[in-house]
Amino acid sequence: MHLVADHRRSSMATTSEKVEETPKHRPIVRIGLFIIANTLLVSVVCCIAGVLALLLLPVLAKKTYVSENALLPGSASPMISDQDVSRANGFIDELTSMKLNSQNVVIEIPRRIALHMENLGGEVSYHRFQTQSNKYHPLHFVTTPNAEACNVNKTCESYAVNVVGIIRAPRGDGKEAIVLVTPYNPVNLTQNEALSLGIAYSTFSLLSQVSWLAKDIIWLAADSQYGQYNSVAAWLREYHTPSVDGFDKLPSGSCVHDSELDMSIETKVSDTFRRAGTMAAAFVIEVADRGVEGEQDALNIYAEASNGQMPNLDLISVLCYMAVYEQGLPVQVEKLVSLLDSKWLKFIGEVFETVGNIARKLNPQWKFGIPVKEYVEGSATLVTSLYHQALGVPTGSHGAFRDYQVDAITIEFPLKLSSINRGRQTEFLLEGGRLIEGVVRCVNNLLEKFHQSFFLYLLTSSNKFISVGVYMIAFLLLLAPLPVLAASLCSDAKKSIRESEKISKPFKSWSWLHPTKTIFIVHLWGVIVSLLPYFICQIPNSQPASRLLIWASLSLFILIVLILFFGGCSTHWALLKSVTVSTTFIGLCLMSIINFATAEIGALLLVPLCLMIKPWRLAGKAHSAFNLVLVVIGFPGAAFFVLKSAFGLQNGSGLVEFWYWMESLWAWNSATYIYICMVHLPCWVLCVYILLHPC
Amino acid sequence: MEKSPETTPKKHPWFWSSAVASILLRLVLIIYFPNTLNFSSRPEVSTPITSLRRLAEGYWLKRSSMSPYAGSMYHGSPLLLSIIGPLTVDRSEGQSQLLCCLAFVIADLITAILIRSIGQLLQGADIQSLKSLGAGRFSKISESFPSGDIASLVYLWNPLTIITCLGYSTSPIENLMIVLSLYGACKRLVPLAAFGWVMASHLSLYPVILIIPLVLLIGSGLDTPPRKLFLQLTDGNDYKKTTNGSLHLTNFSWRRVVLFLLWASAWAFYVLVLCGISIKEYSSLGEMFKRTYGFILSVEDLFPNIGVLWYFFAEVFDFFRDFFLIVFHINILFMVLPLAIRLHHRPCFLAFVYIAISSILKSYPSVGDSALYLGLLGLFVNALADMQFSFFLFSGYLGTLLLSPVMHNLWIWRGTGNANFYFATAMAYACFQIILVVESVSSMLNHDRALKKLGNTTVAKKVQ
Repeated sequence: MHLVADHRRSSMATTSEKVEETPKHRPIVRIGLFIIANTLLVSVVCCIAGVLALLLLPVLAKKTYVSENALLPGSASPMISDQDVSRANGFIDELTSMKLNSQNVVIEIPRRIALHMENLGGEVSYHRFQTQSNKYHPLHFVTTPNAEACNVNKTCESYAVNVVGIIRAPRGDGKEAIVLVTPYNPVNLTQNEALSLGIAYSTFSLLSQVSWLAKDIIWLAADSQYGQYNSVAAWLREYHTPSVDGFDKLPSGSCVHDSELDMSIETKVSDTFRRAGTMAAAFVIEVADRGVEGEQDALNIYAEASNGQMPNLDLISVLCYMAVYEQGLPVQVEKLVSLLDSKWLKFIGEVFETVGNIARKLNPQWKFGIPVKEYVEGSATLVTSLYHQALGVPTGSHGAFRDYQVDAITIEFPLKLSSINRGRQTEFLLEGGRLIEGVVRCVNNLLEKFHQSFFLYLLTSSNKFISVGVYMIAFLLLLAPLPVLAASLCSDAKKSIRESEKISKPFKSWSWLHPTKTIFIVHLWGVIVSLLPYFICQIPNSQPASRLLIWASLSLFILIVLILFFGGCSTHWALLKSVTVSTTFIGLCLMSIINFATAEIGALLLVPLCLMIKPWRLAGKAHSAFNLVLVVIGFPGAAFFVLKSAFGLQNGSGLVEFWYWMESLWAWNSATYIYICMVHLPCWVLCVYILLHPC
Repeated sequence: MEKSPETTPKKHPWFWSSAVASILLRLVLIIYFPNTLNFSSRPEVSTPITSLRRLAEGYWLKRSSMSPYAGSMYHGSPLLLSIIGPLTVDRSEGQSQLLCCLAFVIADLITAILIRSIGQLLQGADIQSLKSLGAGRFSKISESFPSGDIASLVYLWNPLTIITCLGYSTSPIENLMIVLSLYGACKRLVPLAAFGWVMASHLSLYPVILIIPLVLLIGSGLDTPPRKLFLQLTDGNDYKKTTNGSLHLTNFSWRRVVLFLLWASAWAFYVLVLCGISIKEYSSLGEMFKRTYGFILSVEDLFPNIGVLWYFFAEVFDFFRDFFLIVFHINILFMVLPLAIRLHHRPCFLAFVYIAISSILKSYPSVGDSALYLGLLGLFVNALADMQFSFFLFSGYLGTLLLSPVMHNLWIWRGTGNANFYFATAMAYACFQIILVVESVSSMLNHDRALKKLGNTTVAKKVQ
């Protein structure tokens, strides 16, 4: 009797609850519900808009401008004289002749450079260092740069000497400095390197005499026989983290080079490490041989540092201003040549141009659209810039400076070495010296560190940029469907659960907890996969291809074990997809802040996959086939090869190349590696899991 | 809610194995990665009040016969200095940190056990009152989910708790004191409750507002549905369970409350005397008040944290500073009374809401405070079964907590971002916390309404 009453009571309660449940939501919730109700439309519109906005980026690029007033570019006339240049000429001759005559060039050349610096009135010191081989250590990503201990065996191998010359500023307080870097290889000094040393020499010669200098000038002749990045990085590490107890010092007398170098220098070249103030900016000077006739004689600049960081835009715009308006040298940023004659890019450019023309006809005020050639060139530059940023590997030794918050840039002077003679060389040195002098003078005027202009931008040419406020729109439009889809799937799943089980089950709003378990396990697997190379690298005498295979098979094995032990629970696929999509959204958003380019490329691969994926038993045949294609392309390895072949960058055999690529990623502490292992791969695995879901 | 998958046990043996596993995880992390993870330098984990590094500095100052408060380094209690200070002395390589961490692990474990017993008490009371109301459906749910186990496992496995434990911050001890006072009040152990409350307020000041839920707990007992429902039932005459229902209509026992207040003042006096003794040679109680409570109230340290006050007070003009200090602190007090009136029948839940609100609005918040209220949220898992936006909140917490170190890195290490980047995550975090509080309170009220409806139907049936 009681039981019946109880039952009736509870059934009445449920009916009354159903009546109650007609939602009376707040307006903001109602807007959300409206958007969720139209998920398909929103996803399609947002995705198309995102891709379109990405293609529009070269059109939306703005002209660069010098934002910091203190820089005053071009306000002073260049002071570099023929005397400086002729001394530089002599210096170059001496170096090249030494290369031919002297026996022990590895010692003689740094010594000679030091002597010349000394003669110009600089304080000179040697910086001996040992290159640290880039080994993968899993905790490098977490720890701060200072924490990494350098416990390398001190041997005489892989040991090199940087020569550092410092001019103390007559008007400065010694608290700030500007750095000029000239990488050279003492074992095999090429003419390019000799010329870049010459440019630095001529500038150094002038700067040692001028009275307007307010910041110290450091000239670092970096010994690049073990890689120019390594030498600059070693010097910077020593500069910023002084070793108090001399632990890092090489044991004196143990190395032949060491003692010989000391013996052979008669002047007062100091062996103690000399410092100037904090660095305001750094310029890496290089000379490139443009052997091919007819190629444009333009200055090349490289700015990408590790993890897609860029120097302040002011540095680039000042350099471009000085080069273009003062010296008449055109400046260009590296661009992907193979894209320049791509047909579809031209077609898109034409479309945008016609749209722009129509817009101008309607209203002359609307300045929209750029010529096709400009569009294609802009896109090629943009793609290169995105590629370098996404790799997270610096494009030159300027990258080492960015780790210490110093804005740095590599300037590559063009020269046709085949047609060089005395007159041309003098002219070249004068040109280069003037440019460097002008830029140094601008930076010398700075009162604070660079902060006025952008740090987050993409270049479409040397004088056009896209700021973070513009390119983020494209990215967020692409990403916007993900949370909407997650919310709609979640609410649909709840409804279906409610319908399928007549008794209103409690905790229906917590039903997402079950798929969360699966997703947590897959992400845990991602962490394990990212740590595996540390152990694989310890296997001696293994080939890259076999290492890669070991990595893949071990990962697969661990995944299967984990799924068998923990992930066996069957959940509703829609809920699983909902949680997958939202974790992917969080991962991509995080990555867009760490490294925008990686996130953008990752989003282009993952967003369609996440939106389309459906268990093959539920989806139609065409849909499943399309899903399969997306899954194949979405796999990081496959995506790597597809991109490589699309841009015509194929070299070396596939697997080996892929292993080396991964190795370079972790050697450079690239966040892209973390992204691939902890966001992309788990999401891909979950998508495959959903595709094969038995429903 | 931050939940690891291990947190939904069905049987009781699950609890102990899971708890031991979480402790083992902590120990492994402490022993094998003592310095690499470096949580203690994260602004999200250690605040000027809770940082163990500052405590060690204060202890050093005290040992060299100086005031521990000299130089604006240490801002905690002198008692902590005497208890934990000796552990921070570096006897041998890295051992000091190990000892401190072990102390915090033990504190975490005790907190979890206390939360579990609070949960069991609450569940028992809940089932009893629901049965007396005749709400069979709800009581069945209540029986099926051991909310105490869930809550304590949520607390133990919460990544925020683990990070706080590893981050050399004293918040595990503050949390322990708060939970201790709640436990004492739930068990009606008046001296224990008073001790917990006095110590918690002494350590971090904000738990002072917990006096209202504690007094309610001690005076009128554990969380029950609104009293009106029982009155309705007794009105509907000759119903069987009226006698049962009247059990809950025990009057507010003023005697116990007075006892609590007496005990509290005794403990407060005792704590002050102890403080006075421990710092008598170097400084005075006045300085202690100024450097601890004054430091908390006047927001002197503008070092970035996950709260919202540092940014505001870095920007505000000096002559408006006092005004805004009052405004910001009133914010917490403002909500105390209305919430107390609305939720007076559920004092434990009221305590949860107070802790959550004060951890949003306090001057130096850390993730340790969030860990505590997220754990307490698990206590009400049965009542909050229909909470809205739980998935949204989970994603939001996850996203903002991962975003925070990234933004900090962008601002401090890379130099390409600025303070606004970091503050944006702090604001987002505050927003998610506010949504959590609002949603949990409204679903608790909905739960009460559902009970009321149920009561009405039973009464109506009886009248028929």
